[in-house]
Amino acid sequence: MSTGIALVVDDSRVNRLVLARQLEALGLDVLEAENGIEALERLRAHPTEIDVVLLDVLMPELDGYQTLEAMKADEAIRHIPVIVVSAVEELESVVRCIELGATDYLPKPIDPAILRARINASLAAKRMHDLEQEYLDRQTALTRTIQRQKEELGRFLSPQISALISSSEGEALLSGHRRQITAVFCDLRGFTTFAEQAEPEELFGVLGAYHRLIGEAIVEHEGTLEHFAGDGVMTFFNDPVVQPDHVERAVRMALAVRERFQPLTADWRKRGYELGLGIGIAVGYATLGRIGFEGRYDYGAIGNVVIMASRLSSAAGPNQVLLTQRGVAMVEGLFEMEDVGELNLKGMTRPVPAHNVVGAAAHEPAVDGLRDDRAVADHV
Amino acid sequence: MQEPDLPLLDEAALAELAASVGGDMAFVTELVEAYLGDAPAQVAQIHAGADAGDAASVVRPAHTLKSSSATVGAQRLAATARRLELASRNEELPGAIDALEGLDAEWQATEAALRAWMAGTTG
Repeated sequence: MSTGIALVVDDSRVNRLVLARQLEALGLDVLEAENGIEALERLRAHPTEIDVVLLDVLMPELDGYQTLEAMKADEAIRHIPVIVVSAVEELESVVRCIELGATDYLPKPIDPAILRARINASLAAKRMHDLEQEYLDRQTALTRTIQRQKEELGRFLSPQISALISSSEGEALLSGHRRQITAVFCDLRGFTTFAEQAEPEELFGVLGAYHRLIGEAIVEHEGTLEHFAGDGVMTFFNDPVVQPDHVERAVRMALAVRERFQPLTADWRKRGYELGLGIGIAVGYATLGRIGFEGRYDYGAIGNVVIMASRLSSAAGPNQVLLTQRGVAMVEGLFEMEDVGELNLKGMTRPVPAHNVVGAAAHEPAVDGLRDDRAVADHV
Repeated sequence: MQEPDLPLLDEAALAELAASVGGDMAFVTELVEAYLGDAPAQVAQIHAGADAGDAASVVRPAHTLKSSSATVGAQRLAATARRLELASRNEELPGAIDALEGLDAEWQATEAALRAWMAGTTG
């Protein structure tokens, strides 16, 4: 078995033969070069295979010094150990070679024991270097993989969550915290019937168009997508990024979704599917953070507010956007609303007062913070 | 001759060489053949450089001849080549004129001795 590859550089065939033979006896494979130019050609052709160079100093074409200089200037081969082979009386040139970056020197005539010791030392150094390089390469590959996975992940996560993963406060937020949020739940009326009847291609086509529409609206209004579950899409605002206007953002997003949904319904109706959109919006405190298990985590919200949004969505008729009382109070004057009275929602012990958001207020407040109550009064 | 005491051919050096390659006499013979094939060119290059008065061009062939001669135990020729290498390196070739003049005869004697040695070992 080969213990490595040595390159013997000497213009004397006799010297090359002797050295090659002795190296082969140590288990090395040997390449030969007659001068520096040939040596550099071989090194550049096998930059990772050659483990050690045995270099004569005095050679035609390109001598030992020039060869060393050229090697050290070449990033790909500069790490390969060089042993200068030289007569004891040429110590001066050996010193110069070591200053130029040679690793060691081997006195002529060559003593097999010294040769073995020098070669083993150089091979060990080379192996160390190779291991280091391998480690660095693996690190680089790993970093690249992580970067790529992060980007891939970014496509599954909302931009906020994606950014959160990379941020310093990310770990603290992921481990769980409590905050007031606005939860928005969208789902489709008539979807279950449609899903039972439609071909898989049609089903995924419709879902894809619907999710794309909602996805764009979420990004535009900087909402946090919690999850998709078939036709149900849960989004919330004010977390992980704090948004003082979270209720307003939620309502505007809901209105945008409803508006963009109309052309889709028309198209589907032509194809025989009757699908309507229901949206529920609730405001309240939730516990937010990482939910799940190793290998499959979600950033989720837990609390009554989430259930409330979902129930309101179920109660909403086609194209209704239902908002809880607290939400109504927080966006007073900004939207045109109609009171739908108290709703008896599944799982809720008491009836829930709610409003349907008809649209944006006819004229919005001119000065920020000043809300014109009459605008609502005019349109109710 | 500056080094008359040195043997023309040091058979102990050849034996050592053989031992260093595990007693592989075929290899030693191959090596000596290579030496006999290459040395005349080195001798010729030394002469050409000296005749042209170009000491620098004598250094390398003298160096190569010195080192390969030493390898095959041609001690007297190795010493002569060494003198020539040092003299040409120091630009003092005229001081080694006797070495230059004796080079051809020494080479021929070395060649004869090596051929006789090979005839003896290969039987």
